[in-house]
Amino acid sequence: MPAQSLLNPAAEPRKNRLLAALPWAEWQRWQPQLEAVELPLGQVLYESGSTLGHVYFPTTAIVSLLYVMQNGESAEIAVVGREGIVGVALFMGGESTPSRAVVQSAGHGFRLKAKAVKLEFETSPAVMHLLLRYTQALITQMAQTAVCNRHHSLDQQLCRWLLLSLDRVSDSELRMTQELIANMLGVRREGVTEAALKLQKAGLIQYSRGRILVLDRPGLEQRSCECYAVVKKEYERLLPTTAL
Amino acid sequence: MNDHNVRDATCLPNQLLAALHAEERQRWTPHLKWVRLSAGQVLCESGDTPAYVYFPTSAVVSLMSSTRDGDSAELAVVGHDGMIGIAVFMGGNAMPSAAVVQASGVALRLSAPTLQSLLQRSVPMLQVLLRYAQALTAQVAQTALCNRYHSIDQQLSRRLLLGFDRSADDALSMTHEDAARLLGVRREGISVAAQRLQRSGVIRYQRGRIRMLDRARLELRACECYASVAKEQSRLLAC
Repeated sequence: MPAQSLLNPAAEPRKNRLLAALPWAEWQRWQPQLEAVELPLGQVLYESGSTLGHVYFPTTAIVSLLYVMQNGESAEIAVVGREGIVGVALFMGGESTPSRAVVQSAGHGFRLKAKAVKLEFETSPAVMHLLLRYTQALITQMAQTAVCNRHHSLDQQLCRWLLLSLDRVSDSELRMTQELIANMLGVRREGVTEAALKLQKAGLIQYSRGRILVLDRPGLEQRSCECYAVVKKEYERLLPTTAL
Repeated sequence: MNDHNVRDATCLPNQLLAALHAEERQRWTPHLKWVRLSAGQVLCESGDTPAYVYFPTSAVVSLMSSTRDGDSAELAVVGHDGMIGIAVFMGGNAMPSAAVVQASGVALRLSAPTLQSLLQRSVPMLQVLLRYAQALTAQVAQTALCNRYHSIDQQLSRRLLLGFDRSADDALSMTHEDAARLLGVRREGISVAAQRLQRSGVIRYQRGRIRMLDRARLELRACECYASVAKEQSRLLAC
């Protein structure tokens, strides 16, 4: 086991890039109010249309924002990890959002009460600018998902999705089933199995019971549609440059 | 309409500007200019820093995303319900999407730095614009879902409703090519879908214009995405 995992992840809120980018004065105010939370796979942080009680800052977990249809089918519109915050509706306005936030990869994070984040957004220009820039990057990710869903093949989309997830974990292993990936991409499981087999045969990934080990990252980038690079570039442009 | 200043802003037909408080309105109106926008005009290229923001009144603008191969898809539609250039107050000063005029008409224009300085003293208006950005985000996200799941018939019906909602009468100038470009599909698919709508008496094509004959049935033919976005927008902006 790598030494890193022996550290208590609950003690490192600054592993989240937004928390790490807070100016010192803000950080001093926030620190005592942040609550460490464990985010197990599948946990729903908020439902579509429900009032948000907290915002979440993932450190090691990855959260999917899903849009759900009346018949229950859904598709991921964006993914949030240690670079971001879940619950932008709290400071953008509206108190709720049509999306559902679900933990897609188990881990840890920190949360802040709705009231606290609203107060900070209203009173600290540094906080407002940081959170608005993040929201702008998030909108870009959603926009790219829209064009990707229209024009790119499942093979390309799977590569994009694996890369987005990989950027949000600390090693090259992703813990997720093909079922989960199919739900996120909004496609049939068989399609994901077929696409994953192709990647495995090409020596890019190794798949075994709920674990995907990425062997050749540049290879994945080559097979991915441009959407991955477009989103990554925009995140780098808009957000603090603390290592992802 | 000429490029003159707005004298009477009490009845600004843009829903966001209509939310300005009386005191804010006095400060904003001298800076707002009427401009005429023509179909096809690009207000802001992908990746460019916008020099102006636009509050359409009768014009309708599409936010478009395109791929390296030149395939495109519309992300959102902005008319008298919204504004073009949210990156100016969100930060980052640029959007990877392009803003292209879809229906000719007029808009009120502000320079980007003017908007930024006006907003520093207009907290209520900033809140309105943030809620609008949130509604626009919902539209973009819903488009992503729609592109995944819904048929061309449903998507065309949804897109026509978005257009009719932003037009003064029940008619739109939109060729099959336009619709194909907006939805990011082949023109043939649009022609078939449009003929079906026409044959069942929901719309009528008339010299390049589409007239809506039966709104209720058009809504029935659209996917749920139309109603979801409309509901979210009216919840956020109460209009």
